[in-house]
Amino acid sequence: MLLPLIFILLLVGGAVLAAQSSINGRLGAKAGVIESSWLTFVIGAVLTFLLMFFFEPAQQATLFSVPKWQLTGALFGVVYMLAIVFAVPRVGTAAATVAVISGQLLMSLLIDHFGWLSNAVRPLDASRYIAMALLIGAIGLIYLSHQQRHRRMVNQPS
Amino acid sequence: MRHALILLGVLIAGMGLSVEAGLLGPLGEQVGHLSATLSIFMVGALLLSLALVFAPKRQLGALFKQPRWLLTGGILGPVYVIVLTLATPLVGVGMTMVGILCGQVAASVAIDHFGWLGSEQRKVDGYRIGALAMILAALWLM
Repeated sequence: MLLPLIFILLLVGGAVLAAQSSINGRLGAKAGVIESSWLTFVIGAVLTFLLMFFFEPAQQATLFSVPKWQLTGALFGVVYMLAIVFAVPRVGTAAATVAVISGQLLMSLLIDHFGWLSNAVRPLDASRYIAMALLIGAIGLIYLSHQQRHRRMVNQPS
Repeated sequence: MRHALILLGVLIAGMGLSVEAGLLGPLGEQVGHLSATLSIFMVGALLLSLALVFAPKRQLGALFKQPRWLLTGGILGPVYVIVLTLATPLVGVGMTMVGILCGQVAASVAIDHFGWLGSEQRKVDGYRIGALAMILAALWLM
C-alpha cells in the first residue's frame, strides 16, 4: 500500500519542479531574470530555515564545521536557476526540462565513470553509452520539434 | 540557431545540477538534509543579492506587482526537497530519481501542451513523444 503512495508522491515532486520552472520563467519574463531567481532563493532560504530550525534533529557536524568545498553546491544552483528563468519563456517548459535532465544524467554518468567528488568509480559500459546517445537524441528531437513548429508558424500565420 | 544555443546552455546548467546533487548528498548525511538545503538557498540568495546590487538595471518593484501565484516558485523548491528526503530512505535513490524525473518530464510536456500557468501553448507532436521515449529508455539503461 505504501509503495504506490510513495510513487505518487514522487511524481508530484517531479511535477512540482516542472511547475516551478514554468512559474519562474513567466515571472522572469515580466520582472527580470536576476530578480525572479533572487526571489526564488530568498523564499526558499526563509522556508528551509524555518523547517531546519524546528524539525532538524541535532547533528554532530554543522555547516560551519564541514570542509568549505562541500558548500560550493549553491554556485551550480544559481547558474541553473538563471539558465531556467532565461530559457523557459524562449523555448518552453518541456524543452528546457528535457535539456536539464539530459545534462544531469550525462554528468552523473561522467561522475560515475571518473569517480569525481569522491564517488565510487562505475565505468561506462555498452548500455551506458547507449543511454548517453539516447539523451543526446532526445535533445535533438526537442530541437526538431521547435524547428517544425517554427516552420508551420511561418507558413500559415494565424 | 539561437534556440540551439539556449538548449546547450540549459544542458550545461543541468550538468552543474548533478555536481550540486553530488555535493549535497554527502553534506546532508553529515549536517542534516534541511541544513544542507538551507546552505544552497542561503548562499544562492546572498550571491544573487550581490548580483542585484551591481546589476545594470533592477526592477524589484515589478516583482510585487505580479499576481501572487507567480511568486510561489520559491515555495515549490522546499516541497521537492521534503519529498526527496521522505522518499529516499524508503525506496532508495534510484527509484526516487526515476519517479521524480517521470513526474517532471510528464508535467512539463503537459504544461506546454495545455498552456498551463500562463505559458505559451506548444502542442505534443511526434518529436516530443520520441524525446520522452528516449529519456525513459536512457533511464532504464542506466
